[in-house]
Amino acid sequence: MRITDLTRRQGDFLLKIDNAYFEPGKIHGMIGSNGSGKSTLAKLIMGIIPADSGCIDYEGLTPRDITMTGQKPYLLHSSVYQNLIYPLKIRGIEPRAELVDQWLEKAGLQHKRKQYALSLSSGEQQRLSFARALIFGPKLVIVDETLSNLAPDGVRLFESIMEQQQRENPITWITISHQLVHISKLCDEVHFMEQGRLVQSGTPEQVLKHPTNPSVIQYLANTEVSFKG
Amino acid sequence: MNEPFFSEFFGTIGMLDSIRVTIIMSFFSTLISSILGVTLAILLERSTFPMKRLVVRINRTMMGAPPVVMGLLTYMLLRKRGPLGFLGWVFTIQGMVTAQTLIITPIICGMVYSYLVREAPRIRAFAHTMGANRMQTNLLILREIRNEVYFSVVSGYGRSISEVGAVFLVGGNIKNVTRTMTTAISTLKGAGDYYEGVFLGIILMLMAFVVQTLADWFRKEVREDENY
Repeated sequence: MRITDLTRRQGDFLLKIDNAYFEPGKIHGMIGSNGSGKSTLAKLIMGIIPADSGCIDYEGLTPRDITMTGQKPYLLHSSVYQNLIYPLKIRGIEPRAELVDQWLEKAGLQHKRKQYALSLSSGEQQRLSFARALIFGPKLVIVDETLSNLAPDGVRLFESIMEQQQRENPITWITISHQLVHISKLCDEVHFMEQGRLVQSGTPEQVLKHPTNPSVIQYLANTEVSFKG
Repeated sequence: MNEPFFSEFFGTIGMLDSIRVTIIMSFFSTLISSILGVTLAILLERSTFPMKRLVVRINRTMMGAPPVVMGLLTYMLLRKRGPLGFLGWVFTIQGMVTAQTLIITPIICGMVYSYLVREAPRIRAFAHTMGANRMQTNLLILREIRNEVYFSVVSGYGRSISEVGAVFLVGGNIKNVTRTMTTAISTLKGAGDYYEGVFLGIILMLMAFVVQTLADWFRKEVREDENY
């Protein structure tokens, strides 16, 4: 996916990405301070908000191939099962029992399939949202701070699902997170955003261990406590 | 109370017909208002146009409009020399339904609109991330706010069966034709028959209770179907 001259103004904030490339089949980590424009870029890629100018070349992907899961996922006023099969239903795909069971198990919700989704704990809601985003086989998944507020075992579960997915059927991921350990461990490429601009991209080694941009150096210095990678 | 009392009471006030008129009137006015109110709320939430705020404010004002004023306006529209006089609806159930529709539609529209403004953007964004098309998104929004729509419709129905002023003006309180339970109670009070009025009032409340119970039962069925 290639982004060229993309702009979006929101009040005083201006997001401006001159050129960015997200290689297919890789896990891309998006980091940066709060308000740097990570989520705005994610919404632009997802098509939730329109760009003022510029273009995103999805390289053959259709809106139905892309999905996104956020920090506060929207869950239907319905059961865990109904939530999980929603993307299949709208695609006219019959939800096979084994597929549903497999994703319920991955999300650790196999005993809660009939439970009202909004009565789940926040961690369970995140896992359900994650499973729902993946069950229909998307080709690009945007994970917007889904890992925030998760217990360590929840983060490990997410990571194992992502790793398994990449082993079996690699897809493109854009994961926005402040958890640098997670970014360092999973991502093939890391993109650092500052004040609406993409200021440095590269491998985790390049960006996190040997940053060249002063903003990245400053950011890493400020988050040194949380980053032990 | 003995049998002669009942037969006299039923006959004098036209109780059975007033129940019939009330059921027909409240059913049709609630049905039409629900369709109009929900549709208008969706259109209002989806569209952006100059003076939208003013339209919303007018709708909110209409939500609290005195029924008697709405009744008077409807009467002026429907009377022989009025713009809709050719319909011949004055002093008919159709006329009363028209008046009630004018009263209830803004209530349902305003309530559903306020739910939509709060919830629809999130649902729309979610539907987009799932790959839903426009029709699927709209259906999802309606499905997700179904409880709120239900409460709006029940509120509209409550307003319909309890209303006196507008149906009095437009219907004329004609015994066995346009007399409703509320106008019958009003007539009974005028004649000093308080106990009979209270009796009719209890029947009215029972009707509301039965409708509410049926609606709750229906919603319970829906929940069970969804395997909660």
